[in-house]
Formats: sequence, C-alpha cells, structure tokens
Amino acid sequence: MLFNSLSFVVFLVTVMILYYAKLFSWTNKKRMLLVASYVFYGLWNPPLVILLWISTVVDWIAGNKLSTEENPRKRKLWLLFSMTVNLGFLFFFKYRNFMLDNFTSVVNSYGYAYHAQPMDIILPMGISFYTFQTMSYSIDMYLRRTERARTFLDFCLYVTFFPQLVAGPIVRAQDLISQFYEEKKATINQFVWGLFLLTIGLFQKVVLADTLLSDTTDSVFGSKNILNGLDAWTGTLAFSGQIFFDFAGYSTCAIGISLMLGITLPDNFRYPYGSIGFSDFWRRWHMTLSTWLRDYLYIPLGGNKHGVVRMYSALMITMLLGGLWHGAAWTFVAWGALHGLYLVIERMLKSKIQIKINAYNGILLALLTYTLVNITWVFFRAREFSAAKNMLYSMLSMHNGGEKILQSFDILKVFVLTSLLFICHWMMRNTSLKAVSEKISPWVLGIVWAVMFFLIVISQGSGEQFIYFQF
Amino acid sequence: MNLKLSVLIALALSVISIAAWELYWRAQGFYPTLDDNEALWAMQRHRVETASGNDVLLMGSSRVLFDIQLNEWQSQTGVRPIQLASAGSSPLPIFHDVVQNTNFKGTIIVGVTPGLFFSTTAPQAQPWKWPQSKVDYYKKRTYAQISNHLLSIPLQKSFAFLSDDQGVDGIKLKELLGKIKVGNRVPNPMPPFHEFGEIALDRNTVLKNIALTDTAYANSIKKIWIFFMTSNKNPPDKEGTTKFFITDAEKFMKRGGNLILVRCPSSGGFKEGEDKFLPRIAFYDPLVKATNAKTYYFEDYAQLKNLTCPEWSHLSASDARYFTTELVKIMIKDNALPNSKAN
Repeated sequence: MLFNSLSFVVFLVTVMILYYAKLFSWTNKKRMLLVASYVFYGLWNPPLVILLWISTVVDWIAGNKLSTEENPRKRKLWLLFSMTVNLGFLFFFKYRNFMLDNFTSVVNSYGYAYHAQPMDIILPMGISFYTFQTMSYSIDMYLRRTERARTFLDFCLYVTFFPQLVAGPIVRAQDLISQFYEEKKATINQFVWGLFLLTIGLFQKVVLADTLLSDTTDSVFGSKNILNGLDAWTGTLAFSGQIFFDFAGYSTCAIGISLMLGITLPDNFRYPYGSIGFSDFWRRWHMTLSTWLRDYLYIPLGGNKHGVVRMYSALMITMLLGGLWHGAAWTFVAWGALHGLYLVIERMLKSKIQIKINAYNGILLALLTYTLVNITWVFFRAREFSAAKNMLYSMLSMHNGGEKILQSFDILKVFVLTSLLFICHWMMRNTSLKAVSEKISPWVLGIVWAVMFFLIVISQGSGEQFIYFQF
Repeated sequence: MNLKLSVLIALALSVISIAAWELYWRAQGFYPTLDDNEALWAMQRHRVETASGNDVLLMGSSRVLFDIQLNEWQSQTGVRPIQLASAGSSPLPIFHDVVQNTNFKGTIIVGVTPGLFFSTTAPQAQPWKWPQSKVDYYKKRTYAQISNHLLSIPLQKSFAFLSDDQGVDGIKLKELLGKIKVGNRVPNPMPPFHEFGEIALDRNTVLKNIALTDTAYANSIKKIWIFFMTSNKNPPDKEGTTKFFITDAEKFMKRGGNLILVRCPSSGGFKEGEDKFLPRIAFYDPLVKATNAKTYYFEDYAQLKNLTCPEWSHLSASDARYFTTELVKIMIKDNALPNSKAN
C-alpha cells in the first residue's frame, strides 16, 4: 500500500480510530498494529507476508539463543544462522538473476555457449530494508549491544511496523522495541505535528517528485540519443531533486505517521544537498542506512583504527556494497564506487589541507559537493553504462550538437526548483524544520500547510511507486 | 508554536480552496467524469474469468468503444457485452490475452480499424504497447490497486477537477504546467488534442455532444487524424498482424468460440485515407478469408453505409445507438449470435 493512495487514507483513519478508541488494552493495540502492518504489506502481495514471518521467526529464535548462550562457537553459529537466512532471501530474490547474468557472461567469455534461464522472480517490496533491520537485531544481540525483545509480539511489531516497513527509516532494535513496552499515545501537539510531517512528505512525493520532476527525468534518461548538454544537465538535476523528494518524502511520511501513534522514528535526511564534502553528505543522506553500513560493515572491516590503507579499503568496500544494496546492477556498484572514491579523496585532502569553513567558501564547497553528487546520480539512474556514458559526455562537454528534447519551460522549472532546493538545504543545514516552525506565526504555518495540501489534491498523484521500494 | 491554530487554519483554507477550484472548473464547463484508465479496463477484463458461452466481448480500438452501445445491444439480445476495446490500440494483444489465458468460448466481436489492426506486432509500438499495458496491469494488479480504484470511483463521479484527462482538457497540475510555453525550443507538430469521449463504469462510451454541435471542436479532432495519417512513417505489417491474429482466431474457434469481425464507419478524410492506403480489397478481405469468421462491413448494408462521423472516425451518441441496433438486427437475422434471446 502506498502512502499516497486512497486506500491508505482509509487504512490510516481506521488504524487511528482503533488505536485511540478505548477498546483495547496496550497489548491488544499492539496486536492490532501488527495485523494492520501485515494488511498494509499483504495488500501488495499476500504470499510474500510469509517471508516476513520467516525472517521474524528466524531472528527471534536466533536472538533468544544469543541472549542465553555463552559458548562463543555456538553464538557464532546462531549469528551465522540468522545472517544466512536473511542474506539468503536477499540474494535469492534480489541478486539471483544478476549473479546468473554475470556467471553466464564470464563462462561465455571462455568460449562456452551457456544460456541460463532467468527466473521470473518478484522482488518483495522493501526486502532490503526489513532484512537489514532484523539482521541488526541479531548482530546487536551477538555483540551484546541490545537486550532481547521482551515478547514475541514486540519483536514482530519491530520487524513489521507499517510506517517504516517497506522503505525505512531502518530502525535499531534498542530504539524501537523499547518504545513498545509502555503504552504510547501521542499528545495533541505530537499528533498534529505528525500530520504536518505526513503532509510535507506527501507534498514532496506527489507534487515535487512526481508532478514537477519525474517527467523530465524520464524523458532525458529514456532517450537513446546523445543529448544536448543543457538537456543532460537538466535531466540529472531533475533526478537529484526527484530522488530526494521521493525518498525523503517517504521517510517524512513514515516519521509523521509514527508520531501520530506516539512512536518516534529517527531522522533519515538532514538537508543533504547543503553538505560540505562527502562525509558530511553521508551524515545527512539516508542516515539510517549509512549508520547501519558504518556500524555493521565499515567498522568490522577495520574502520579507521588500522592504518590508512585498511581504512580506505574498508571505505571502498562499504560504499561498493552500499551501491549494490540499492540495486542488482553494475551501474549501482559504479555509483557506490564513485562515492567511495570521493570519500577517499576527501580524506586524503583533509589530511593535507586545512580549510576554515565560512559562509562564503562554505556555499561554494556545498555547490561543488552537490555538483559531484549529481555526477554519481547519472550512474544511479541510467539503466546501462552506455546510457551513463552518453549522459556524462553531454554533461561534461556541454555538448551543443546533441539532441534537444526538453522545452524551455521544463528546463527553467527544473533549474528554479533545484536551485531553491539547494538554497533551502544550505540555509537549513544547521537547524531543523521543528525549530523553524517554532519561530513562525501559526497563521503562516497554517497557510503553508493549506497550500501544500491544495497542491497535493490538484496534482492527483496516480499512485506511482516510490523509487526506493525497489531497493 | 500553536499547532492547533495552524491545523484549523490549514483545514479551513484547504476546504475553501478546493471548493473554489471545483467551482472554477465547473464554471469553465467541466463536469465529473470517469477516467478510462487501466484499472477501469481491468474491472471488465476480470468479468471474462466468469463469463459464460452466452456472453459477448467487444474488442478493438476506439470505434468499437464509441460505436457499439451496450444498452442497445442488451435490449435486443438480453446480453450486456463486456467492453474491452481500447482507444488508439490494436485489438491483437487483448484478443491474444483472452484466447490464451481464459477458457472463454462465447462471442467475441473484433473491430477492425485498418490503420490500427494491421499496424504492428512490435511490443514497443504504441498501438501494441497501450493495450498490452492494460493486459499486464490486469495480470499484476494488487489488492491495493483494486481498492484504490474502487475508492476513487465515487470521487471521480463527484468532482470535476479530479480528471485524468490529458492535452487541452487536462486540468491536473501536471497538465496545467505542461500548457505553459516559453519559446519553442523543441517544435511539437501535434495539434491540440481533446478528450472527446465520456465513459461509464462498464466502459460504455459516447462521443461528447460538443463534437456534434461545435464545428471548431470537431475540426480540431480531424486535425489530429490528419496528423497521425501524415506523420506515421511505418508501413503496415499486414502479414505479421494477420498471421498473429489467425493463430489466436483458430484456437478460439476450435474450442467453440464465436468470432465476428466488424468494420465500423468512418468518413471524410479519414475514410479517404483508409481507402487509399489500406484498401479493403488488400487488407480486410484477405483477413476475412483467412480467418473464416463472420464479418460485418458497414458499407455492405444500406442502413449503415451512409452514417457520418462528426469528426471522421466515431459516430455521435445517437448514431451509435442506431448503428448498434441495426448491426445487432443484422447479426440476429444471420444467426451470428447463437445465444441471444432473439434466438
């Protein structure tokens, strides 16, 4: 079920009524939330709820064993059991055909005429998110960083909690399960703020991403020809805006809905296009994934405690796998590699050059960061390297002879919107929406809210997928 | 931060602005209509799963959609057909889907609009892609999509501004922004396009009355037909389309299905173009001969041959009712509809 759909409106109203009506005890309210979460997921594809159940049961068992078992070897085996099942699902559903294609290419390069039959496997929505979330529980249990979930119900709800089930934020057990132990009820201010966040999230998705930017992105990246430099830059900028509004929009909706239930989820985006450098970018973009990768991949690989070479290797491996997490294609790996390379270069430069950041050089560095991030988006959005190559050629050479496919108004629209996005992120980089909202008049807030809602309604989102659902 | 005040202001302003928006578009002549989208088509396609040998399926392009009226058909035969025709589409993908993926063995009426029927079997070509996307949507639709559509129907029936129309009649934000032109960086030779049909929940469709009463409106549609006829550089794939259709037609008839081909009326420049580039003798007649299906070509019947389409390609609502009535009478007389109540 999509947040920007009519069935979700009915679903959410029903859940809120059942949650706040004095019909159930807290345990029964949690049961209701759990059933609602399965309905939320199952309305997309009912049989795939079974995967969620298996993942839940496996990590519940592994977590229980890890909480009591003292034998280090057996503890390792229980962790291995959890990771094998979770990563096995991920591999089978997400990477099987990718691996098969690569295997076929390698074998055939040695002169064999091998033809593998690709399986028509459906990619379970949000599998990368809930797999990482449940794995973090088992790993934290293994490392004794978190306590065992008190009840199976709490654990099930942690895995399945509908606001963040299919596209995050990826929440750690200690941050979410403990919230289920005591009855939660949003204050009126929390509830209204949650509703405001839900509106902002939908505005980002329906109006900014889908209505204003997606067509330009699709036209440019769908073109088979070498484009005019202006068109290529416009398409890439449009995608930078689209993916931010799409994904940050989903996260904002998730945080808002959860807050309406009195449950707090962590921030996932903090004005990433206002970043100065790439370490800063990854502290602001998809924060729950980047901290996950830091804690469960980068640090176990050595982090920055074992010398420069090991640190750079760990960084590159983390970013390569981070790229692969986003999709089973080499273009995603290239996207991750480019970010890894940026991070390595940045660290090398930082160790040699000290720059004191002020407002003037800061915005220039932020602009440089944003521009370089845009280069990486080309690999993220292009389906093939040849398309990425054509795009980069047009962009970097400002190719004048390429095909023009965009109207002037579309170019103007994208440049104005992405410029506003960049300026807004720069201005907001050291503050928060809540802090800004507290400073402005309730009338202004109300008017802004109404304008966003009105634009959502007249945009009539047709329920297009959120981009990150496929990851 | 006084959030309670903010939410009340937002609520009041939202209600006022949405009401004003609705009133504005109604004042501009818009009224609530249903969208002829994949979800609406899928509702009808779903009915085929439980259809009996008495049922009738209608397939083809917009001519079958506009020209065959379900009420008239039902009043004469006792059977309300299932409307599966798709505007701007070849009937082949939908016919293929029904033949290959169902056990239906009632009657299938296939409309033959030469420019679309014989156009292509290429999956990425528009006449194939559009109907195939409907078939794919039906196969893959989720319970969430079904419920979204069901919930949207009362809203579509109530609010004029909830319209998925495109082109000059599009009024959702994306369409309104698309009408803003700054310069002419990429010339678009396509003339302005009106949505000229009105569809009901069972996909019974009529030509908007304005196409009959407003010559300028009808002429704007004629310009579109001229544009399509003159800009299409791809030659028809007569062999490929005929062969594809015959394979399915044989399978369908072999299992007891009743296949009828219908050539609905066209007139003016459209008919001249069809006669010149896709003449009956070279396209339609060989198809009929190869399929061995019953066939009804409007020009073969005195009561049908003089019908005129206001915009060259579709009959007015009243003429469509007449056409359906007369066509069914002829079919019943021929015993082409073995399970109709008249028989």
